[in-house]
Amino acid sequence: MTKPALGAQIHFARSPRSESKFVLDVTLEFVPGVTVIFGPSGAGKSTLLDCIAGLLKPQQGKIVAGDDTLLDTDARIDVRPEQRHIGYVFQSLALFPHMTAQDNVKYGLARLSSEEQNRRADEILSAFHIESLRSRKPRELSGGEQQRVALARALVTHPCVLLLDEPMTGLDSELKKSIAHDLLAWNDRHGIPILYVTHSHEEAAALGGRVVFLKNGRIVDQLAR
Amino acid sequence: MEALLLSIRLAITVSAILFVIGVPLAYWLTFSRWPGKFMIEAIVSLPLVLPPTVLGFYLLIAMGSNGPLGRFWQAAFGHGLAFTFTGLVIASVLYSLPFAVQPLAASFESIDRKLLDASAVLGAGRLRTFVRVILPLSIPGVISAIVLSFAHTLGEFGVVLMVGGNLAGATRTVSIEIYDRVQSMDYAGANQVALGLLLFSFVVLSIVYGVNRYIARNSGRRIWSPWPAK
Repeated sequence: MTKPALGAQIHFARSPRSESKFVLDVTLEFVPGVTVIFGPSGAGKSTLLDCIAGLLKPQQGKIVAGDDTLLDTDARIDVRPEQRHIGYVFQSLALFPHMTAQDNVKYGLARLSSEEQNRRADEILSAFHIESLRSRKPRELSGGEQQRVALARALVTHPCVLLLDEPMTGLDSELKKSIAHDLLAWNDRHGIPILYVTHSHEEAAALGGRVVFLKNGRIVDQLAR
Repeated sequence: MEALLLSIRLAITVSAILFVIGVPLAYWLTFSRWPGKFMIEAIVSLPLVLPPTVLGFYLLIAMGSNGPLGRFWQAAFGHGLAFTFTGLVIASVLYSLPFAVQPLAASFESIDRKLLDASAVLGAGRLRTFVRVILPLSIPGVISAIVLSFAHTLGEFGVVLMVGGNLAGATRTVSIEIYDRVQSMDYAGANQVALGLLLFSFVVLSIVYGVNRYIARNSGRRIWSPWPAK
């Protein structure tokens, strides 16, 4: 199944978290498969993802997913984050600590019937090899298991794009490879465009796909593999 | 006994009302970006620094037969507000407002903003995020707000005396009862009632700190309290 392409043109997005005059000026077109956004700390990688997810609003920009315009500052269109249908795995993972792994995964499926929620949750828990952990809470899971739950939660809704913000920080290289393998295997079947932010050469190499080099808020190079 | 029952009835009523208005008010104070928010925060916190007699005096004026609240109540319900149980409830709600709002706001504030972002990205609107994420993670703050509202209302004196007077069965609360007994030199009776109130307050605060410690140990979250749990 091929998902529609998503494009983002984001200009002059000043980060409200920073006192510095940070400027993000990026134009990207995303296609099914993995696009690694690679760059040093402070390059604007997380700001770019937050803008696409709708958590930050750029002063000027346009974000399109298939036929849907998520943001168009000229046309004053700004779709709320809850209506953008985007998957996002934060660096901190942000799993709901009071819910079990299964409830975390089912959180984004509220609009579906109970049977469909269970079917989708079972499918993705199995794909990420965490079906036996479904009744555990995040604090009872290891770092790698939490990572798998966070990926499953973001992917189970079949988002139009998946944003991953350095999600494997702190994991050993074998675990990273194993999780990357499960992620790519899932995505071979679903063809979701994945934007994977990292500043690790090792992760960039493990995921393959296209690499976009970001520095000081601007794309300085692109590499198709 | 009558005074104690009246105090408990007052404390339960006030705690319930404070929960209903305290939760949305604390939510707004936590998440609103309105630049003038600090003024509302100051108003909510006024009872913490004002002498109860000052608050009671203005409430008495407002609830009196010539006051705006008193005139409105008279027109709407056919009787005044001052020196009635209803008047006492309104005064107590205002007096105990910061004791409900501050623990709730502190609890909402302590929630990791990334959890709220995650909820939004997963398709949940503000109401669903509040019900499924914010409120369950704020249970310690909710318990603390209810317990502190209850205990503070139970022990109040100045505002009750100013607004409610001393009418047996209607506005004579347990703290007024103690004052009355001391005035009539009945020290033994005053001691009996005061000791009951002292023990009750000690038990309530012990529960707050005990639950605080239990929750901190089990989940890393804690009930708001003026002293840090160790």
